Parts: sequence; C-alpha cells; structure tokens
Amino acid sequence: MQTKIKEYRAKLNLTQDQLANLVGVRRETIVFLEQGKYNPSLKLAHDVAVVLKTSIDKLFSF
Amino acid sequence: MTLKKYQNIKLIIVVVIAIIFSQAIIYQNYLIPLATLVVSSLILILLRRRVKEVVADERDYLNAGKSASWAIQVYSWIAVVMMFILYAFKNLNPTYEPIAITLAYSTCTLMLIYSLFFKFQNKVKFSNSKTKFIILVVVLSLFGAIFSLRLFSGEDNWVCQNGQWVKH
Repeated sequence: MQTKIKEYRAKLNLTQDQLANLVGVRRETIVFLEQGKYNPSLKLAHDVAVVLKTSIDKLFSF
Repeated sequence: MTLKKYQNIKLIIVVVIAIIFSQAIIYQNYLIPLATLVVSSLILILLRRRVKEVVADERDYLNAGKSASWAIQVYSWIAVVMMFILYAFKNLNPTYEPIAITLAYSTCTLMLIYSLFFKFQNKVKFSNSKTKFIILVVVLSLFGAIFSLRLFSGEDNWVCQNGQWVKH
C-alpha cells in the first residue's frame, strides 16, 4: 500500500502530531500510515482525507 | 497530564501492586491486596480522565486482539502439554494430579469465555438476537455454578458403611 499522506500533510503545514490529534489517533499510527505499513479502517481513511482536504482514492493506492 | 506521565505512573502502580501482593501472600493477608486493587483502579481511572491525548486507537485495538488470540493459543498449548505430562507422572507425586486438573479446567474455561466473546463480537453485536445470547450465557453460568458447587461440596467425602454415613 502506498500513501500520499506525507505530501498532503506538508502542503497544509501539519505535523504528524497535529494530524494525529485531528483524526483522534496516536502519532505512531500516522507514522505507520505514512510508511504504508498500516491498513487503516474506512473511518480513519475518511477522517484523514477530510482533514487533508482530499479524497481517499487520492491518498491511498494499492 | 501527558500520556507519557500517565504510563509512567501506571507502571509504578503495577510495581507497587506486585510488591504488596507478594507481601500479602507471605503474611497471608487477603484484604490488603483487595483494598490495594480497588484504590489503584480508582487512581488509574481518575488519572486516565486527566489525559487529553489519545491513549489507544484502532491500531492498538487491532494489535490487542491479535495478541490476545496468540496468548490464548500459547497458554492453551502449554497448559494441555503440561496437563498430560503431570497426569502421566501423577504416581510420582500426588500433587501433580490436582495441578493437571486445574490446568485442564482453566484451559476449557478460557476457551469457553473466548468463544462466547467471539460469538458476541462476531454476530450478536450486529443482530437483534441479543436476548437469546444473554439467555444462553445465563443458562451456561447456571450450569457452571451448579458444577462448581458439586465440585467443591465435598459430597464424595461421605460413604455409607453399615447403614451409617461415614466421612472418609
């Protein structure tokens, strides 16, 4: 799984900690998400997409 | 309060509980560990409310589920193997048999509880048959209670000899 979370996060000048707080997860989860090592739930993927002002299909690719 | 601070306090409390429990076993006092458990649980609940950060998220719950499943499997295998070994050598030491039986029953109980929770999480939680499941749990608990009473009643300690009940 590949993600563009890091790119979109950088565009919005958000830190991993800030993104984690906004979507209600721990920072470690964002780290694993960005590395493509964690398969998120639909809710988390949706929440991240909403915060990063994009869509799920643009953030994640399989 | 930060999550790190909360986790450190939790660790200290666990260490304190372990020390108190070990001392209580040595001095055969069972009220102190009970009181410690209640007080420490209350402290942890109060501290947990002060933590503003996310303590656990979906990844933690996923890992917790997998870890619990592995732990049950590992424990069950170890308990079953130990049970067979202890039961095979019960003639060497009379204490082996009760230990083997305890291991066997604890494994069965663990698997039964796991199955019930799995069933609940898997199907009952999403269906309308919660009442049926609750009735099943109550019936099983009643059977369990009757079985436990029968097991610990000591009825088999009495035998009828020459028309009289004699404890043997």
